[in-house]
Amino acid sequence: MKAVFDALEGRFAGRLLGSDFFRGELTFTVAPEDFIEVATFCRDEPSLAFERLDCLVGNHFPGRRAAPFEVTAHLTSVSHTTRLRLKVTLAEGQKMPTATEVWPSANWDERETWEMYGIEFEGHPNLIRLLTTEDFKGFPLRKDFPLRGTVGGRIRTDLKGKI
Amino acid sequence: MSGSTHDTAHPQQDHVHGAAAKPRPTIEELKARKARTRQRVVGDHETITVSMGPQHPSMHGVYQAVVDLDGEIVVRTRPGIGNLHRGVEKLAEHRTYHQFIPVTDRLDYLSSFAMNHGYCEAVETLMGVEVPARARYIRTIAHELCRLSNHILWLGVHIMDFGAQTFFLICFRDREYILDLFEMLCGARLTHSYCRIGGVSKDLPDEWAHRCLQVADFLPKRLAEYERLIKANRIFLKRAVGIGIFTADDCHAWRITGPTLRSAGVARDLRKDEPYAAYDEVDFEVAVEYNADVYDRFLVRMKEMRESCSIIRQCLENTPDGPYLADDAAHVLPLKKYVLRDAAAMVQDFVHVFKGPQVPKGEVYRAIEVPKGEMGVYIVSDGGPKPQRLHVATPSFYHGQAVPPLFEGEMIADVVGIFGSIDVVLGDTDR
Repeated sequence: MKAVFDALEGRFAGRLLGSDFFRGELTFTVAPEDFIEVATFCRDEPSLAFERLDCLVGNHFPGRRAAPFEVTAHLTSVSHTTRLRLKVTLAEGQKMPTATEVWPSANWDERETWEMYGIEFEGHPNLIRLLTTEDFKGFPLRKDFPLRGTVGGRIRTDLKGKI
Repeated sequence: MSGSTHDTAHPQQDHVHGAAAKPRPTIEELKARKARTRQRVVGDHETITVSMGPQHPSMHGVYQAVVDLDGEIVVRTRPGIGNLHRGVEKLAEHRTYHQFIPVTDRLDYLSSFAMNHGYCEAVETLMGVEVPARARYIRTIAHELCRLSNHILWLGVHIMDFGAQTFFLICFRDREYILDLFEMLCGARLTHSYCRIGGVSKDLPDEWAHRCLQVADFLPKRLAEYERLIKANRIFLKRAVGIGIFTADDCHAWRITGPTLRSAGVARDLRKDEPYAAYDEVDFEVAVEYNADVYDRFLVRMKEMRESCSIIRQCLENTPDGPYLADDAAHVLPLKKYVLRDAAAMVQDFVHVFKGPQVPKGEVYRAIEVPKGEMGVYIVSDGGPKPQRLHVATPSFYHGQAVPPLFEGEMIADVVGIFGSIDVVLGDTDR
């Protein structure tokens, strides 16, 4: 874990916005424009070798007025058995670069994050709804979205022959 | 990592692959083989679109794959999921940590104990709860039983995909023994909710260890019978060897884990790499194969089942006496038998049910090896009794996503077999 910290601090000194260590897990916060560069470095640097993206998760903090959204990427190195968390905070409407170029498995994760939080991923090949229906309104995992209600859920028949 | 299992060839290996033992292929050879299947896709021919699912009998649930075909060869696949989406992550934000355990059963309903276990491990890491030794051993036994039941069901369904109906019934017969054990253990056959934060809900019943040992001794004989039926079966070999190759690099890029990754020659098993429960105290081997095809995924799972039986036997021998639930009033529910007798336990129960446990601020990501792959649970806590955010990174979600590169260049007849070999359950995919 120390080696991961030193390698990233050495390469991106000053551009990492913060780091955290809790329960044996290392977290780095990076700016959205630096995310792809940091992620590519983490994947390609042999001493880090984070060849897998375990998951990419969105989050919403309504209390944080300036940057209420957060995207967290969990990287895993199979060869070194280490883990790392990269975090990006975003303002409402701010776009996030897509990680599908670095790890193809980010594709569905980003679609899910977009449909659940409305965080747009720039350059994503196919940013459409994944788990909810096509006509679903709203972003269900935002904190201001109610737990109960009747939004969407209608099965569309007008798409016959188009899919 | 222990990846030396391949050198000791299985006695039946020669029987299967001909006289000489098959040499281990290199990554380059595997890539070349995969490239050869992809080369079959030629030119700008007119393609036919076939929609498989979501109500297709071989689709293992409500998974849709819209396949573009050039003749009999798959050119493109557009997967569609979401028909079983229940919004588990939204539910988690409105429940206390204890109340969420029964919901995790419904993620992968074929191995629900593994789901309980993964969630509880993550919460315990977050809270810093130490699980007593007896509970760790019981969890290990239950998890391996769960792996056995999942793999036996997988095997039956997978072979049924290739057209053998009887084999499915044979597998279901043997899965019953394991479900009976779970019924004795916690009263439920499918949705166990057996794990608790800090341990398990009930101690092992009388006679259970004996019954479990009988099953663990008896199942390897059944596994030998399965192998006699299908391991060298010509129809199975023709449809499985060299089909659906997915190399280790592809697996990492698409986050494919579990038996599929191990069939590509990577000795990655979280039970060894990041031990939890009692896995660092038992002796077992990681099942690895090297051909990365449908047949090797079958071999890996068969090896894993044998190892599971061995782990269960070792754990039953060494299960220590002692409490099966941690003594930690701030984080753990009290035992029901004390609640109406002991004032402190009653207060503890009241606080946990009406308010919830005390949780520190912070975030954890904990992954464990469930039967289908690596399941990670990400919890963000703001210090309240409910999670601020809970995400379950389930293996089937990513396995379902990797279907287009898996199908590409394969024949339409093999699609069903390849889809079966990566073991997708739709409750796990859609959450």
